[in-house]
Amino acid sequence: MINRAIAHFDLDSFFVSVELLKNSRLKGKAVALGSKEDRGVVTSCSYEARTFGVRSGMPMRLARQLCPELIQVRGDMDQYSYYSNIITEIVAEDVPKYEKTSIDEFFIDLTGMDRFFGTYQFTHELRHKIINETGLPISFGLSVNKTVAKVATNEGKPNGEKRIEIGMERPFLAPLSIRKIPYIGKQTSALLKQMGVEYVKTIQAMPAEAFQQLLGKSGLGLWKRANGIDNSPVAPYSERKSISTEQTFHQDTIDVSMLSSVLLGMTEKLASQLRREQKLTACIAVKIRYSNFDTHTKQMRISYTSCDHILIKGVKELFKKLYSRRMLIRLIGVKFSYLVHGNYQIDLFDDSVDMINLYKAMDKMNTRFGDGSIKRAAGLNPRKKSFNSFNSQQD
Amino acid sequence: MNFIVSSASLLKQLSLINGVLNSSNTLPILDNFLFEIKGSQLKVSASDLETTMSSRLSVESKQDGLIAIPAKMLIEILKNLSDHPIKFSVDEGNFQIEISSDYGKYKLSGHSGEEFPKVPEIEQSSSLKITSEVLSRAINKSLFAAGSDELRPVMSGVFCELNSDNITFVATDAHKLVKYQRLDAKSENSTSFILPSKPLNLLKNCLSSNSETKIEYNQNNAFFTIGELHLVCRLVEGKYPNYEAVIPKENPNKLTIDRGLLLNSVKRVSIFANKTTHQVNLKLAGSSLNISAEDLDFANKADEKLTCSYAGEDMEIGFNSRFLIEMLNNIDTEEVIIEMSDPSRAGIILPSDSEATDENILMLVMPVMVN
Repeated sequence: MINRAIAHFDLDSFFVSVELLKNSRLKGKAVALGSKEDRGVVTSCSYEARTFGVRSGMPMRLARQLCPELIQVRGDMDQYSYYSNIITEIVAEDVPKYEKTSIDEFFIDLTGMDRFFGTYQFTHELRHKIINETGLPISFGLSVNKTVAKVATNEGKPNGEKRIEIGMERPFLAPLSIRKIPYIGKQTSALLKQMGVEYVKTIQAMPAEAFQQLLGKSGLGLWKRANGIDNSPVAPYSERKSISTEQTFHQDTIDVSMLSSVLLGMTEKLASQLRREQKLTACIAVKIRYSNFDTHTKQMRISYTSCDHILIKGVKELFKKLYSRRMLIRLIGVKFSYLVHGNYQIDLFDDSVDMINLYKAMDKMNTRFGDGSIKRAAGLNPRKKSFNSFNSQQD
Repeated sequence: MNFIVSSASLLKQLSLINGVLNSSNTLPILDNFLFEIKGSQLKVSASDLETTMSSRLSVESKQDGLIAIPAKMLIEILKNLSDHPIKFSVDEGNFQIEISSDYGKYKLSGHSGEEFPKVPEIEQSSSLKITSEVLSRAINKSLFAAGSDELRPVMSGVFCELNSDNITFVATDAHKLVKYQRLDAKSENSTSFILPSKPLNLLKNCLSSNSETKIEYNQNNAFFTIGELHLVCRLVEGKYPNYEAVIPKENPNKLTIDRGLLLNSVKRVSIFANKTTHQVNLKLAGSSLNISAEDLDFANKADEKLTCSYAGEDMEIGFNSRFLIEMLNNIDTEEVIIEMSDPSRAGIILPSDSEATDENILMLVMPVMVN
């Protein structure tokens, strides 16, 4: 088998970098992005903020305690997508095969390119091209597979590049903390640390079977990754399997009319997204999290549709079944899965021509003037205007 | 109770009624055929509570009796016997059945015939007669359009509207609709009822040409008699949707095209359509018809161009190709006419110049919402 050449590109603190680009006064300061409300979380923070111990995913309140001079910025998802798309275009123009795994991350398959350019030379030039054209710092790692390339990027950060020579994958990983390996999360690492496994080299020294026995099916995959083995291909395009949105309230609530209004708004937004992408869903799910963090979801199958009136009815029905405890609710969410490409099959008896035309007109206005330009009054809620768009799309 | 019967003729009658039996039953007795002997007549019945079918044949027997015999085993053994007389000996005390053939003896346990569900009586019924040919054609033309949605039970059957001028059969699943009208079949009383799909499917296989079917019906049940064969079924309860109201009356865009040409084109193009939605798009401009399909998940794509005769505005409309194929398959004429008005309104498929003057066929298909 020929050696592959995989590069992993990752923008350094992408959201913050975009904010710096817009407002140079933030440069060199501890900046954190996220909602300023009590329950807001840090979605991204500058390297200066990280020296204070601020991390993404941390509650904003805690971040303020750690770093009193923290500058908080609200964040603008549209702006980030805009820059992300520019970078995607640059990458798409130059490389044969790439996979965009998130808004600020790519894998690029450069296998076979070394004969022409030298892969390191090529990725180095690509990185500078991105920096020059967008002004955003980006790092990359280059290796023979996705896992090692990704770890290399994280080691090279910020604003760096790192190449792992062929055959050096294991030695490169050996001295690192096990947390650096992708997919080793809090729980697995806690379990491993308990057993005295702190560095990757310890995993490398263990037999694969022992690891598999310990962690079950996923154990073997982890062991392989720790040994620098990863055969997963760079998948240029992966179909989204579901779309969802959820919202955490600033204050826990039992206001059912407000909750159903929020659900309606969410459903409407997702349904219009379905229609815009010419997709249909066959499964709807509603999720609620009570104030004590008990989380419950309920889902049901329906026949393929993308129409608000059917989906709203289903979501309300599910919510009614799900919310039976009269307890304070902290979060609600809606998810559509079993997505397929296609258009809604019009019903002979239930759908009138007027209604179909209304959908068409609403979609046209929302496409032309932006999502949410026109919507049902029942979904408007004076107490809450927008949903957390950071959660609006899941793979 | 003892009787002698030809294995082949018994198998023939049992095969006709065997379709009534469900593969899994809540009541164990429904896994049996009911054998009832009166004089030298054997009546065999099968039931699923909703539908009961029975047939008669002559046997050699000395006394009357009643027994329920496990259907699956009996059919299996009869299938594997060559045609010769077999003897049934039934112990009515413990419901043991012994079948003797030339090869040997087979024993199986039955059930008391008294446990078998009672067949509803024909009371306060009206009746009409219809040739088997007409009934068979009506079932074939309409039944495929009936729905299977448990939430809309009325659409799971075929709606029959009788009056003194004609009989109309309507089936729809809310996405497609067929209206089949016979001008040569009439009824004295004007009435309507909904026949469930399952018995119609069973009847379809029993209708031979040149025979006549007697249909009796009352509030709850319909009774069909074809020679020695009887079928009783419970009618679907509920109100059938007002189908006339949803058939668009004004359809300015009229497409006339060779049926086989269109059918084959849709069949080819649909291979490349999405496997779940089966969506194909028809684009009409001037005298050309573009049929295309696309499956973005696999980057499959097909595009065909046909010439047709078209009067109306240029338009683009999307359909589920399976509906189109089913409908075009069920039209006999060489050419079909497709009438349309708007991309979000129904398309109507009609046979062009029907040779049969005593029937009217109208097929309707709802499009998908294309932006």
